[in-house]
Amino acid sequence: MNKMTPAGQIVSSQTAAISIQNVRQQYPGRHSSAAVLALDDISLDIPRGEFVCLLGPSGCGKSTLLNIVGGLIKPTAGKVQVSGRTIDGPSPRDIAFIFQESTLLPWYTIRENFHVSFKFSRIARSEWQSRTEEALAAVGMSRFIDHYPEQLSVGMRQRVNLARGIALGTDIILMDEPFAALDEQTRMVLGEDLSELLAKTGKTIVFVTHSLAEAVFLSDRVYVMAARPGRLKTIVEIDEPHPRSPDFMLTTRFGDLRNQLYGLLRDEVREGLQIERKSSAAAGRT
Amino acid sequence: MRMTTGARIFWTRCAMLLAALLCWEVYARLWADTRFVSPPSLVLHAAIFELFREPGVIDALVTSLWILFVAYALAILFGVAIGLAVGWSSFGRKAFFPVVLLLYGIPQVILLPLFVLIFGIGPACKIAFGLSHGFFPIAVNVISGMKNINILYLRSGHSLGASSFDIARYIYLPNMLQSLFTGLRLGMTLTLLGVVLAELYVSTQGIGYWTKLYAETHDPAPLFALIAILALMAVILNELVRAIERRGLRWRG
Repeated sequence: MNKMTPAGQIVSSQTAAISIQNVRQQYPGRHSSAAVLALDDISLDIPRGEFVCLLGPSGCGKSTLLNIVGGLIKPTAGKVQVSGRTIDGPSPRDIAFIFQESTLLPWYTIRENFHVSFKFSRIARSEWQSRTEEALAAVGMSRFIDHYPEQLSVGMRQRVNLARGIALGTDIILMDEPFAALDEQTRMVLGEDLSELLAKTGKTIVFVTHSLAEAVFLSDRVYVMAARPGRLKTIVEIDEPHPRSPDFMLTTRFGDLRNQLYGLLRDEVREGLQIERKSSAAAGRT
Repeated sequence: MRMTTGARIFWTRCAMLLAALLCWEVYARLWADTRFVSPPSLVLHAAIFELFREPGVIDALVTSLWILFVAYALAILFGVAIGLAVGWSSFGRKAFFPVVLLLYGIPQVILLPLFVLIFGIGPACKIAFGLSHGFFPIAVNVISGMKNINILYLRSGHSLGASSFDIARYIYLPNMLQSLFTGLRLGMTLTLLGVVLAELYVSTQGIGYWTKLYAETHDPAPLFALIAILALMAVILNELVRAIERRGLRWRG
């Protein structure tokens, strides 16, 4: 099965960029009987060059799954393959990770932050300067190159943080709710920027969110997850070319897709709330 | 001409010190027993004409400074190394930090006879005792400086493939700088205390030995002069560490 990607090249869904195979993750609880099953037997293939979202209620293990793909957590069972290689620890050559809030180190300027990141991922020193300048130019932040992160607003910091992730030049970028700390307007604008930036590069993006609008606006496909234990519920494809304009959000199709996702999640969220209510009632009795 | 606030603070301090010295001078000349207290003018006189003409005292100062620096360097080395090792993981902190705090809480003077038994009465004993004092504030401040790290910085570092050295050098160290310098300043003062204590207790050289000698022979002028020199030394060393600290913390603007 072939399909046109938004970037225009033809990829086969068999050449998955990321292949997640029977991944299970169990966390030890306070007592041996209270072990928590965070992920129960997840298998999915993420096609090369696609922008995919992991969407689900809190506690569905979407961030855990992202950390496993990034090699930051070893799964209890199963494995993750990237370009045919099994992930065993961080692989900065293939995968860049962007977190909930900016991880720019406050004691270095923007330039120094980029350089330290390049040093960590063993990128040749001769490329540091040009990579830094190009990435900052791409997000329109060039004139802040010698500022300290704290001199920038939260939104600007996260924008620079995105630029740094892209500057690492990996084929895959993992994003763990990168806009969660931002206000609604800023996250819309950054979302548009991201769609535009990444449409050109053909990178594979895995994006964790619990915002329905964000999922529909940004992704080529949405993996909807269910909680307790975390598992894959269904996949929703969003067939709309990148870069996406804000007008897409005004279409009925956008609203329909958003409602479809809400329908899939509503029962999950309700169930989650009931479980919490029940367990707190139980705790109250003892 | 109006003075700046900084200048006003400086001159107020000077005036206060001068006033205190003046009170002391008047009290010592009119009422005090000269076997125990000397007026500041005589202390100054003793410093210039007695202390610095006594070759033993100059040697003592050199010896004490040398011992102090060795002890302090070792305190930094061990304090930072052990602090890093304990503070690296939350498991390490939970398992070992209380032990470090417990040892820090023991008044070490009580162990001085033991130090003498183990290290003898030479410089080794003073270095070891100074080190045992300077080590704890440095280690404790390194550990608490590592505790408040933003966990995302570490995760980001790991995801970028940073080595343990990279994490220590570029993430932990700058993050704990403020706390580290607090430890270094406290450590400097306490190392000095440890060295002088050891010299007072059992010694035939060093500043501690000479202060004991002057006190026992009821010669307060050079005694006070020596104490003043010691105090001056402590202030200068403290300011030295602070100057380095200001350089290191420039990014805080």
